Amino acid sequence: MENFTNNTIDTTQLPKFEEVPFSGLHPNYWKVTLIHIGIFMLIIGFAYSYIFTFMDKTIPNQLEISIGIIVLFVLVLFIARIGFTKKGFAFRNHDVLFRHGIIATNTMVIPYNRIQHVALHEGLISRFFGLSKIEIFTAGGSSSDIEIPGITKEQAENIKQLLMGKIQKEL
Amino acid sequence: MENHFNQPQRQSPIGVLVMFLDTLRQYAKALGPLFVIGILRFNEINKLYLFLGIAAVVLLIAIIAYLRYINFTFYLDDENKEFIINEGVFNKSKTTIQLSKIQQVNINQSLVQRMINVFALDVDTAGSNNKEGEIKAISHPLALELKARLLDNSRVKNKETAHETALEPEAENAPQTFPFINISLLSLLKVGITSNYIKSFSLLLLFFFTVSENVSKVTGRDVLHDEKIVDYVDQSRLVSVFLIGMIVLFLTVLIINLVRIIFKYYDYKITRQKGSLLLSFGLLNTKSTIIKPEKVQITTVSRNFFQKKMDTLQMKIKQATSGEQEERKSAIEIPGCNETERDAILKLLFHKIPEKGIMLTPNFRKLGFALFLTIGLPLLGFYIFRANNPGVAEAVNYLVPVYILFVGLVQFFKFRNYRLFINDSFIIRQSGAWDISNEIIEPSKIQAITTSQLFWHKSLNIGSLTLHTAGGNIAFQLGNYDTIKKYINLWLYEIETSDSNWM
Repeated sequence: MENFTNNTIDTTQLPKFEEVPFSGLHPNYWKVTLIHIGIFMLIIGFAYSYIFTFMDKTIPNQLEISIGIIVLFVLVLFIARIGFTKKGFAFRNHDVLFRHGIIATNTMVIPYNRIQHVALHEGLISRFFGLSKIEIFTAGGSSSDIEIPGITKEQAENIKQLLMGKIQKEL
Repeated sequence: MENHFNQPQRQSPIGVLVMFLDTLRQYAKALGPLFVIGILRFNEINKLYLFLGIAAVVLLIAIIAYLRYINFTFYLDDENKEFIINEGVFNKSKTTIQLSKIQQVNINQSLVQRMINVFALDVDTAGSNNKEGEIKAISHPLALELKARLLDNSRVKNKETAHETALEPEAENAPQTFPFINISLLSLLKVGITSNYIKSFSLLLLFFFTVSENVSKVTGRDVLHDEKIVDYVDQSRLVSVFLIGMIVLFLTVLIINLVRIIFKYYDYKITRQKGSLLLSFGLLNTKSTIIKPEKVQITTVSRNFFQKKMDTLQMKIKQATSGEQEERKSAIEIPGCNETERDAILKLLFHKIPEKGIMLTPNFRKLGFALFLTIGLPLLGFYIFRANNPGVAEAVNYLVPVYILFVGLVQFFKFRNYRLFINDSFIIRQSGAWDISNEIIEPSKIQAITTSQLFWHKSLNIGSLTLHTAGGNIAFQLGNYDTIKKYINLWLYEIETSDSNWM
């Protein structure tokens, strides 16, 4: 009883989530993204040139279509780059933050004592670069889960251990 | 009658009948076409064979039903804290449900079950979308006892993992079994005539189209395009016929509404039991569900202008779920209570009546964007359509101002009612144009928080907030971003420093 205090909280003194420095994703993840985009564009390019050379040589507006494909490619690259630079994460003492979004900046915060479970996921190309993705699940359904890609395998394991430790402690 | 449920046991013997009808229903779907052929060619088929065939099918179904009954057993495994159901004739299945995972136990009664005086018991967990376990025929005392045992165990588990609120033992010492709220027929009538117009109207439309389709199939005539109808109507009386039609339509919708609500919610009783709320309702099929206050995530109180004048309102309670599809299903509705009843329910759920605290209002850009989406874009589409199809769209030109006025008014009231109230222990979001609803959550139920800001809104200092709970999300768009951030920091602090139980 004697240790019990109930002081008024000074809300201005609370730690501010919006001032937390975010760490960006691993630079190699940009390469992974590039490879993904490259594969996607290669498929489109192949399909186009296949149709053009073997099937129908009389497609009108060839120049325009080619330019369109190149513009699309540049646009996709540009958007992906913004998305990559805007993605960031931070682990505080009591919660995890994830920032993402291209037009809008979305910041999601999950307190550790609300985490249900944590999973690691490695994609084929990501594995080649030694990167993995951390998935953090809460009881709030898919809209309230965090997926942080582009973290080195080692660091991801550490983070998972950290989170599991935090969850265990909360129980 | 002491029953520990730890030995595998069957359903009530009379349950064979329920099983029989259930199996019959399942097979009837498959055999339906055959049956129809049998009726249509009644004269051509040898009647002896027909009746022998029917008798054989019924006998077969009876045997299957009997085997299903024999093979259906359920018991409680006290050691592993599991509820186990064995079932199946050829494909055996064993369902194991961890007692601590049980969310809801419902006792229902369909018409057939009511006739032979047995009950169905459904066990619901957070895991998947369907009810995991279902016992089709069980006597009422046994059902109540089993339900108590199933929920009792999950309660014990809860106590081990998290500290229950101090109020719990007090409530247990004074068990109140009499209904403390009983929604009268009058309240249901009030709700029936003031809500759900659109739902009933679409039901009516659906009904009409199904009937007309079937009629045209059978008679080979189209109901809608029958020339006779046109002949009956004198051109000069068109307006009055139209008006009468509208009135008839409105009355039909009203009556459907009333009948639907009375069938669904007749004799709505709310009972307190060990700190939980026990609801039971229904005219033909009596349904009963339980609400545990600690599992409640979002509580919605809604009413419109008429309902305010008549002192009646509707409540919707969402409990913790994990499946997205389940969200709608698990919302429990309480139609037609008055203000004192509402306060009593809220007091039971939250231990105090939620108060609206500091008010957050959306930026006017929210209205602008909504108007753009609902008026600007459709009008643009309309003008493009009109330009390309001259002559066709001119006939509905006069509807444009009506549309603008109507939608504009709806959007304006939506915007005016869109508010977020923040208090020390409650967050209330108010929304809606005609039916104004207040969604109430406690900050401790928050699972995660998302903020969102468009880059051109940075200098304007407006942004959006989404609170994720286990019963769905609550979002507030385009509010003062500094205030939102201040409260997020406060909520995070509260969540992270306490071991509050969100479920």
